[in-house]
Amino acid sequence: MNCREFQEILPEAFGGGRTAEQEEHLKSCPMCSGLLADLDLVAREARQLRELAEPSPRVWNSIEIELRREGVIHEPLRGPTLVPPISRPWNLGTWLAPVAALALVAFGIGVYQRGSSAPQSPPQLTATAPAPVSSLQAGKNPPNTDDQQLLAAVASRSPAMRAQYASNLQSVNAYIRDAEESAQADPNDEEAQQIVMDAYEQRAAVYEMALDRSLP
Amino acid sequence: MTDAKKLQGDKLSEAAAIERAKQGDAEAFQLLYNLHKRRVYSLCLRMTANTAEAEDLTQEAFLQLFRKIATFRGESAFSTWLHRMAVNVVLMQLRKKSLPVVPLDEPLESEEEAPKKELGSQDPVLAGSIDRLQLQRAVDALPPGYRRIFVLHDVEGYEHNEIAAMVGCSIGNSKSQLHKARMKLRESLRTSRAEKATKPW
Repeated sequence: MNCREFQEILPEAFGGGRTAEQEEHLKSCPMCSGLLADLDLVAREARQLRELAEPSPRVWNSIEIELRREGVIHEPLRGPTLVPPISRPWNLGTWLAPVAALALVAFGIGVYQRGSSAPQSPPQLTATAPAPVSSLQAGKNPPNTDDQQLLAAVASRSPAMRAQYASNLQSVNAYIRDAEESAQADPNDEEAQQIVMDAYEQRAAVYEMALDRSLP
Repeated sequence: MTDAKKLQGDKLSEAAAIERAKQGDAEAFQLLYNLHKRRVYSLCLRMTANTAEAEDLTQEAFLQLFRKIATFRGESAFSTWLHRMAVNVVLMQLRKKSLPVVPLDEPLESEEEAPKKELGSQDPVLAGSIDRLQLQRAVDALPPGYRRIFVLHDVEGYEHNEIAAMVGCSIGNSKSQLHKARMKLRESLRTSRAEKATKPW
């Protein structure tokens, strides 16, 4: 084998798999062995180019602006969520978790109203004359007992705020009713079940915000 | 902290950032960007040899990735997923600009640009390490087709079968172009060294 023949097969045989004849030529030819060594060095040194450069800050700025505009980046929900992440598998236990949380929140509201001094109960609010609940009622379905207690808990807020809470409760209750109707129509519809969970989560968030802002 | 522990720590923080990014957390997105920006940008820069274009392609690669982050299930490494997306973005952009990717049979360059054969040559070989700056300049000066294959294989570590699929050529063609790229780089680096050696200062 001569140098021309060896260099012609070099693209295929660079990494290995050379025949005995090719290896023999390599051992006996300083020029071809020098060439192979140089090409190997170039290939190895190329890795140092892998993370050589850094983009200017404008790249991230542009990315963030676009992601916010598209809604990919958005502010998280205020406070911890009461519902486990969607990615986790759902079972009866997790289904009951938001309902149990809601019951706890309602209990907390009840404690506020009775002015209980139990250690685990939230601090007492300053006694104020609650706004008439009837003035906040609107629509076909008046608020239930829990909702009435919540509205009483925010009675010390401004009229506009009380009206907003009442409106939020009505919207989320309507959402829950619609979602439950869909889920009952097809108990195997996982998406409908998920929507029910989302609806309860929203309701719990309304309660959270109301209680959080009512605490001294 | 040992390198292994630091690496493990980085992996955990990346995994946590991915989950937070799926929830729309801005800080999580920025963490992921900072972890991988150099690799992606360097790839784009080596492939295009143009800083402005490389920044645009970097931006596009990250945008495409972040829009789809909710679908990432962790079956492959995040960096692999990102890197492959960046390569596709760059190749697509280069195709749009009608730059020659890798012609299947036709020679990519003129006789003048083809690397010299070594037959009967008594030229000195490269020795020791290669100056990074000189190597960078030499790569930037390569014909686009050679540069693309060299960057994908020797810099970024893709195999020939992967390159062939991405670029749209045969494995044999990928090997041939890579060899020619290395030969051109060797020639360029030897010339640089020779010029440096003859300078009085």
